[in-house]
Amino acid sequence: MDPVFLAQDCINGVLMGLIYGLVALGLTLIFGVLKVINFAHGSFLMVGMYVAYWTVTLSGLSPYPALVIIIPAMFLFGYWVQHLLIRPIFIAEKNVREPITVIIVTTGLWYVLDNLALLVFGPDYRALHPNPLKGQMLEMGEIFVSVPKLYGAMATLATAGGLHLFLQHTRLGRAVRATSLDREAASLMGIGQWKIFNIAFGIGTAVAGISGAVLTPFYNVYPTVGIPFDIKSFVIVVLGGLGSIWGALVGGVIIGLIESIGPNFMTSTWTEGIVYALFLLVLFVKPSGLFGQKQDW
Amino acid sequence: MSLLQVQDVTMRFGGLIAVNDLSLEIGRGQILGLIGPNGAGKSTAFNCVAGLYKPTEGRILFDGEDVTGQKPWDLCKKGLARTFQIVKPFQSMTVLDNVTVGAFAITDRRDEARDKAMEVLHLLGMGGKSRAMPGSLTIADRKRLEIARALATDPKLLLLDEVMAGLRPTEVDEMIDIIRALRERGMTIFVIEHIMRAIMALSDEIVVIHFGQKICRGKPEQVARDENVIKAYLGENYGTA
Amino acid sequence: MTQQKFKRNCLIAVTLAAFALPLAVRSATYLHILIILYLYAYMTTTWNLVGGFAGVLPLGHSVFVGIGAYTSTILWLQYGISPWIGMLVGAVLAAGVGYLIGKPTLKMRGAYFALSTMAFVEGIRVMVENIDMLGPLKLNGPRGLNIPPLQAGEGSFWAFQFASKEPYYYIILTMLVAVLAMTSAISRSKMGYYLKSGGEDPDAAQALGVNVARYKVTAMAISSFLTALAGTFLAQLTLFIYPKSVLTLDLSFELAFIALIGGRGSIAGPIIGALLLRPVTEFSRIYFSSSLPGLHLIILGVVLIVVMLYQPRGLTEPLLRIFDRLAARFATTPPDSPDTPDTPALPGIPVAPGAPATASPREERP
Repeated sequence: MDPVFLAQDCINGVLMGLIYGLVALGLTLIFGVLKVINFAHGSFLMVGMYVAYWTVTLSGLSPYPALVIIIPAMFLFGYWVQHLLIRPIFIAEKNVREPITVIIVTTGLWYVLDNLALLVFGPDYRALHPNPLKGQMLEMGEIFVSVPKLYGAMATLATAGGLHLFLQHTRLGRAVRATSLDREAASLMGIGQWKIFNIAFGIGTAVAGISGAVLTPFYNVYPTVGIPFDIKSFVIVVLGGLGSIWGALVGGVIIGLIESIGPNFMTSTWTEGIVYALFLLVLFVKPSGLFGQKQDW
Repeated sequence: MSLLQVQDVTMRFGGLIAVNDLSLEIGRGQILGLIGPNGAGKSTAFNCVAGLYKPTEGRILFDGEDVTGQKPWDLCKKGLARTFQIVKPFQSMTVLDNVTVGAFAITDRRDEARDKAMEVLHLLGMGGKSRAMPGSLTIADRKRLEIARALATDPKLLLLDEVMAGLRPTEVDEMIDIIRALRERGMTIFVIEHIMRAIMALSDEIVVIHFGQKICRGKPEQVARDENVIKAYLGENYGTA
Repeated sequence: MTQQKFKRNCLIAVTLAAFALPLAVRSATYLHILIILYLYAYMTTTWNLVGGFAGVLPLGHSVFVGIGAYTSTILWLQYGISPWIGMLVGAVLAAGVGYLIGKPTLKMRGAYFALSTMAFVEGIRVMVENIDMLGPLKLNGPRGLNIPPLQAGEGSFWAFQFASKEPYYYIILTMLVAVLAMTSAISRSKMGYYLKSGGEDPDAAQALGVNVARYKVTAMAISSFLTALAGTFLAQLTLFIYPKSVLTLDLSFELAFIALIGGRGSIAGPIIGALLLRPVTEFSRIYFSSSLPGLHLIILGVVLIVVMLYQPRGLTEPLLRIFDRLAARFATTPPDSPDTPDTPALPGIPVAPGAPATASPREERP
């Protein structure tokens, strides 16, 4: 097989993989702090993409500058979802080791959001317009690299780095980490746990918003766009370890590489099958993933 | 032959040695107490016997059979029952149903299990509360429920984990009476306890552990006077010369 | 009569009425609606064996519907084997798959179990959609499998096809009643107690002799077996199956949602859920699907969220309390004496009032 194509596939795989990592980042962050898996994550991504789409269409800004609007909007969205829907369940089920009701509610939310989008926006696939990044390629010798994906990968690294700095070096970030390690102890130290949860959820959702802005230049927007990303996010998050930022990126790259190199050897549907199989394999063999902490599974 | 033999059991969690080369025996019909300062490794040792942990080293023999590392449900079927320090009643089931779950360990039929459960509840003075929900019981009653559940499995050996914790002095007295009555019916009992007067009153013999190791075994009066025990509880300065 | 007798008589009356219904209702359309309703009630009840009794959240149960449907259909189309036999084969196959899926996944945390079931059904759906031939078996990918109908106007029991709706009605009604009786029996049995205790507090249950994992897996296998029977029935009813009809997350979610809204863990819950929700979703689908697509799913989702926030144990409990009060008003004699409680272990079948709800004063000690 042509080494040039292989190299190209690898590079694109890594870039796309990092972007997958970005999508999964919001999910893993929410899990790390709240210990819930947000089953509506794909729908949040979809919302992020629509927000990005409409911000660009209505304001004429290109997607990355539009982040100024997208990030706060998504943050507030997530903040209130946590506050109105999830907090009551936590309060009602505080003795339960793992409130399954949260899973049920977020699954219901997934359903509502996806179908609401279908109702409001229609099933059409929408491409971003105006799209200054559309189809742009960077030539490196014989290898073509997609520019929007390159930007996306950089955005991923920037976001991951920013989150890392936030969690390690700011007061609020440390409060978030404390709450994730030991809820009760943190609240005894005066850290209002509900506020922290809301903020963490808001941040996770804002990251979904960033993902939306990153994806729209080269991925069409439609109501159920969240679903393939949703499943991949779960796989990545389990693979990389729940709660681990770098695990999400590494997991994303693995998936990205499988997806880009795989079709050289088999049909793309089998590639999809491999992703599922890998998921199940990790669940059975090492559920805490590559970088996750050991939990009592 | 003793009912339970713990032979040179060591339990390591990573680098931490919780139980260090512990050996003890319980004879049939005996009440053996296990005491020690906080963090001494009592619960870990207890949980090794109960099948929750598999000892890193050593063996555990129950009724002559090597049961090291066997699962709690298998041990229960063999006649070893335990209670939990923080009681765990099944909140969504009535008191009777809670105990019935235990009784199913000895029968497959619901009517037999229920009869056995009622019998055990009457034995512990809770017959009239069979239809109550655990949430409405006092802590003392919940402790009795915990014991009733374990008793319904018809054990040969009953492991009681700090069953007096949280009880008022009169309730402690009642619990002592209950445990004595159980022994009179032929039960062998292994008790962890912090409430000294209870364990002194109940135990035929007491084992003291400290930092995971046995530092003394003997009759309650002997243990109370033992130099090492005093030092362990009160510190080096209190040992008599 | 006492309250319990009243309730039992009500149940018997309703069942008899259901069996007698086709004598009064002749329209094929209405019968078809009822058939589908019973089918959903059946599937949610079998779901409940795992989702309610075992206390975990399976979100991929439609995979067993698919296995049942595809197995009996392939055996009929390619080998001429009667769908009744195919039904059994499919059910056994499904039980095996359920066991294989359950064994590793039922030990996991709830969220991971749910994810695994979703991954399984999606993975299998993707596989079936992309495979035309699996060895000698023709799966026909996304086009699905068509069962050619017999000569118009003819029915054959052997071929599991009938000219009118009545036979289908009676078959599914019988299946539903049978499955309800079965789940009721299980809930009163050792298995029911063990599942319930193991689902609520596995550590405590294990200390009492319950091999929690083994019982959960057994419940999963039983549930898979029974769910697959519904798959065959569906195939024979509609005579056309394809991956997106029987192997979707949508169907899995719908079953789970209905059972959850009705009240999982109780026997009446799934049925009440189906009775309440199916008409609503069907109605909105029929009348609004062109103008407001997906509305019925939005309604389902919103109802689910609202119910979970305010009545997480489901709507059955409050509804049955109303039934309790009605029964109290009609009862003419006091309830059975409290010394011989015949209350089942699980909620959903109401406890006769008059039982001491709070602890009575201490009895004398032994």
